[in-house]
Amino acid sequence: MWDESSPRAVNGRAPDVFRPGAWVPMREYPEDKAVDFAIVGTGAGGGTLACKLAEHGFSVVAFDAGPYWRPLEDFASDETHQSKLYWTDKRIVDGDNPLQLGANNSGKSVGGSTVHFAMVSLRFRPEWFKSRSKLGYAVDWPLDWREMWRYYSEVEQALKVSGPLRYPWGPARPRYPYRPHELNAAALVLAEGAEALGIDWTPTPLATLSAPRGLAHPCVYRGMCVIGCSTNAKQSVLVTWLPRALEAGAEIRDLAMVGSIEHDTAGLATGVHYQREGRWHFQRARNVVVAGYAIETPRLLLNSASARFPDGLANSSGLVGKNLMVQSNQAVWGVMDREIRSYKGPPSLAITEHWNYADDGKDFHGGYCYMSQGPLPIVWGTTQASKRGLWGQDLLNAMENYNHQVGLKIVGETLPQERNCVTLSDERDQYGLRIPRVTYAFCDNDKRLIAHSLRFMRQALEAVDAHDIWDEDDDTCHLNGTARMGDDPSSSVVNADCRCWDIPNLWICDGSVFPTVGGVNPSLTIEAIACRTADRIKAMARRGELSRS
Amino acid sequence: MRRLPAVKSRRVALASLQEIAGSLSEKYAPGKAVRTRVPEPGGNVGRKLNFSSALLSFSVLADSGLEHYRGSFQNRLMYLPLAVSAATLAASLFGIVDGRAKSHVVRDGLYGLAALTGATGLGFHGYNIVKRPGHLSWINLFYAAPVGAPVALLLAGVLGRVAERVRDDEASTLLGYPAGEVLGAVTSAGLAGTVAEAGLLHFRGAFQNPGMFLPVVVPPAAAGLLAMTLFRSGNVVRRAAKLGLGLTALLGFVGVGFHAYGVSRNMGGWRNWSQNILNGPPLPAPPSFTGLALAGLAALSLVERNKKAGFHD
Repeated sequence: MWDESSPRAVNGRAPDVFRPGAWVPMREYPEDKAVDFAIVGTGAGGGTLACKLAEHGFSVVAFDAGPYWRPLEDFASDETHQSKLYWTDKRIVDGDNPLQLGANNSGKSVGGSTVHFAMVSLRFRPEWFKSRSKLGYAVDWPLDWREMWRYYSEVEQALKVSGPLRYPWGPARPRYPYRPHELNAAALVLAEGAEALGIDWTPTPLATLSAPRGLAHPCVYRGMCVIGCSTNAKQSVLVTWLPRALEAGAEIRDLAMVGSIEHDTAGLATGVHYQREGRWHFQRARNVVVAGYAIETPRLLLNSASARFPDGLANSSGLVGKNLMVQSNQAVWGVMDREIRSYKGPPSLAITEHWNYADDGKDFHGGYCYMSQGPLPIVWGTTQASKRGLWGQDLLNAMENYNHQVGLKIVGETLPQERNCVTLSDERDQYGLRIPRVTYAFCDNDKRLIAHSLRFMRQALEAVDAHDIWDEDDDTCHLNGTARMGDDPSSSVVNADCRCWDIPNLWICDGSVFPTVGGVNPSLTIEAIACRTADRIKAMARRGELSRS
Repeated sequence: MRRLPAVKSRRVALASLQEIAGSLSEKYAPGKAVRTRVPEPGGNVGRKLNFSSALLSFSVLADSGLEHYRGSFQNRLMYLPLAVSAATLAASLFGIVDGRAKSHVVRDGLYGLAALTGATGLGFHGYNIVKRPGHLSWINLFYAAPVGAPVALLLAGVLGRVAERVRDDEASTLLGYPAGEVLGAVTSAGLAGTVAEAGLLHFRGAFQNPGMFLPVVVPPAAAGLLAMTLFRSGNVVRRAAKLGLGLTALLGFVGVGFHAYGVSRNMGGWRNWSQNILNGPPLPAPPSFTGLALAGLAALSLVERNKKAGFHD
């Protein structure tokens, strides 16, 4: 039996994610010969980029600190067991609103947090790419929404996203590759509430299959969707981009923790130091891509500080680790007389993006969407105890209503603030690396957005005759920022192509590059940026614009 | 004596299949002289239609049984189509073995009941769609009660009623029109509706397997050709219609195989049959095409008979 602590992707083969116990061939590269790209992280950013770069003909080695799972045999339908998918290494959190890190904002697996993500696949509102110029807050992205629209389509095809035939908001988009899923009772409650309040709603675009796809089975609506999907319906990076990457000749190194990036005297990156099976190794590379998400990416850049770059790599702007943005994740819960069983099927089957697209009637900048919910029992019990403060008989009584409870929960935009940041503490982890300190506080605008959403969602639940309504007012999700992209080297870390201003063969490709975060789940945008970056790198290579170390 | 009905019914079923095979072989041997056939007596055509009704009501019995079981028989009326389609199936089997060239009051009554139940079901399913949030929308057409399903029972009833009329009426007219043409029109419309239903559900499945295009290509062609025979005389159109209907009938069988494969592609495959038969593509749905295609072939033989009769007069 595999003990989950020894690498599986070795000896020229990697686990076959579609067949229990099976393997697929994998190309391997020697450490002492420079590969075109060493990619740190195999999640939404790194995994997608590894696939696209390999398909463009580059030699690629992608590292991940987590294990290489076979979903069909490694994922039990058990919340506690599945916490093995989260990044639970030691970190320090502080600030006015210290973040709870783990379940809904990290992943330590090949495939990253997409292995357990809720599959919600939304496009940015076009104006958000120019939120300073068009909407008057935060900063502009250096990207054009029309170009992003094309890359969104590419990702939606790659993930066979199931979505509605007509999306009620924003400019026209092509038809989703698969049809929407059947709505569960919790989603119908959202729909009824939205119709009662006179706003649009729609079945949520989800990256889980509503029909068979190759060896992947369609969704069986068993729930357990915010943990690992044991049927392969969930279109994670692990089962979509990575099989393609292997096919195209990429190597994946699982259980390989990258500790620092090496550079030469000219200031160009030369490769990465990584720990695997208790030993430190060095992989030479012509280009290094950091794709560790909003905490591990700045941590690696800061941990790679050298005499030449004493403040960490790519940090001449001083912005590495700054402008961390969470998304607010507040909810309103209630009880319906009729049975709901909200845990059946994917948890967020219905959505309204009304307050992402409406600009009137707001006392805040930014937007939020809200979706129907289906919390699993342990999370629900914990929420009742820790967020609502129930205990003893009161807690038991509340849990008796589990089959009748409904909830609406936002994914809300927060503004970038330099005081929200990732820095290094002096403590060290099991790899001997300095651990990150994550500092976070909502600003007044964030708080006004949250208050608005709680008021509105309460009305929506009241409109459908829910009772025992209460607010869960302090949850957060998704992390972004900390290495923002921009047009100006003094106010950003990377350019529009995710290329570091300071070190031209160092790239950052994950949610860290977001200048603003919008009111939608970020994974689709991260994957779209990765696709664009790969195409840009290919074009630059053709023109001879990639530097060589 | 007791074995005789079974043998007879098998013979009628075989005759229908032979007709399909015959029309196929005719098509693929264009150099051969066209066979002249003795026009069939009304009783034979009637029994063929009883066979169509039997297939359709079997399809309804199995399909509504599965789907209404899946819906936990939440409304007591959900038992009704099971009872009525079972009775219609029994009446049709009786019709198949009944060699007398006369209608039967029990069969006739049951077919009327089937048509009425089908029409009522259509109302219920329609209401189920529009009462949900989103009302008349794609998501409700995909997942609320299927609007086309009760029509199969309606068609089983209508075809059965036609079967009985054809047995009685030597001149073979219906509502004052030639029976073959009325039946052809009914069958074309029924095929169109069934195609719409298959098209809707295969669209829901994103046509993920190219085979899913077959029922939205072959039967519409057959229905179109059958409708053309109403307006154009001539062997070419009629033979093409026969070929199309033959292929459609065949598709009803092949479709069950495709759907069985579809069931296997769900988590656990056939080992998990108790869940996947409910979750996968419906096994009993495709035979509706066979039932309707056989009705179409019966319509063509009625048209042929009328033409022959007219010629001899």
